[in-house]
Amino acid sequence: MNSGEECPRTEALSALVDNELEEPARRALDAHVAGCAICAPVLVQFRQLRTGFAALPEPVPGVDFAALVDRRIGAAGVPKPKPRPQPQPQRWRWWQVAPAALGGALSLSLGAYLGSALMLGSQVAARPVALQMAVFAATPPGALCPALQACKPTGR
Amino acid sequence: MLASDGPDEDWVRRAQAGDRKAFSELVRRHQDRVYRYLLRMLGSHDDALELTQDAFVKAWQALPLWQPEAQFRTWLFRIANNTALDALRRRKLVEFVPLEDGFDAPGPGPDPERQAQATQEVRKLEASLRKLAPEHREILLLREVEEMSYEEIGRVLSLSEGTVKSRIARARAALIEIHARSRR
Repeated sequence: MNSGEECPRTEALSALVDNELEEPARRALDAHVAGCAICAPVLVQFRQLRTGFAALPEPVPGVDFAALVDRRIGAAGVPKPKPRPQPQPQRWRWWQVAPAALGGALSLSLGAYLGSALMLGSQVAARPVALQMAVFAATPPGALCPALQACKPTGR
Repeated sequence: MLASDGPDEDWVRRAQAGDRKAFSELVRRHQDRVYRYLLRMLGSHDDALELTQDAFVKAWQALPLWQPEAQFRTWLFRIANNTALDALRRRKLVEFVPLEDGFDAPGPGPDPERQAQATQEVRKLEASLRKLAPEHREILLLREVEEMSYEEIGRVLSLSEGTVKSRIARARAALIEIHARSRR
């Protein structure tokens, strides 16, 4: 038993009386109560209280509530139980989806525009590569001869 | 046709469909317990008579909200307890409890033998119970008279089991204290 606990252990004793204490704790508390001058009388009082409640008279109303209640239910003011309202499928309303549709269309247009601009840019960027590659082509860029001397007839 | 000793839940389903006879069967099954609980909460036979009817009418109206996993008795006591607390608040009796008044039970009424058997100690216990704070009184009645488990009490009062455990202990200690004072 934890030495930090205080006596009387009212809560645990109350649960013990109610048979709501788990087995290891129950056994430990039983052992504690057997030697504790503070907890033992509290447990006795709790048990006496239980005996007192068991002896309480059970007054009977002497009234048939079923008939009284049925009469009240039958009266105009008391509605019949209605089934729990089921979530209704929402009606489609075009104006509720219009902003989303417009946004989607704008996004698509913007995407298409940006995509085409990128494609155009890639063609522009490809040109220098084409020029560079042209060095290896049979015809020099601009159809100019890179070695004028070689092209010139030597006259030999 | 349902057997009259069938489980509450079968009758509740029929009552949910609007069968008032099925609901009457449920009322008959639980009326005495609900009445006694309200009698001890309110301390007045007339109030208990009126509020027992109110509780059952509220139960009828709330039937569509009943879930099969909830025990009907627990569900009904939740309604009865709320009805009692509302009445106590409305009548401003929560703080005021006459200390020396006798228990306004149905007097020498229908069961005089049992009345005669009631010991002085039992009367004192009833008087002490009336002096107890409503939140202590309700939990002790549910535990000691209705013999509900901590779990069931938790469902009736919307409390965790840990809170039920500690509140019952405090309620018992408070009742013993009141009882001891009345003896002095």
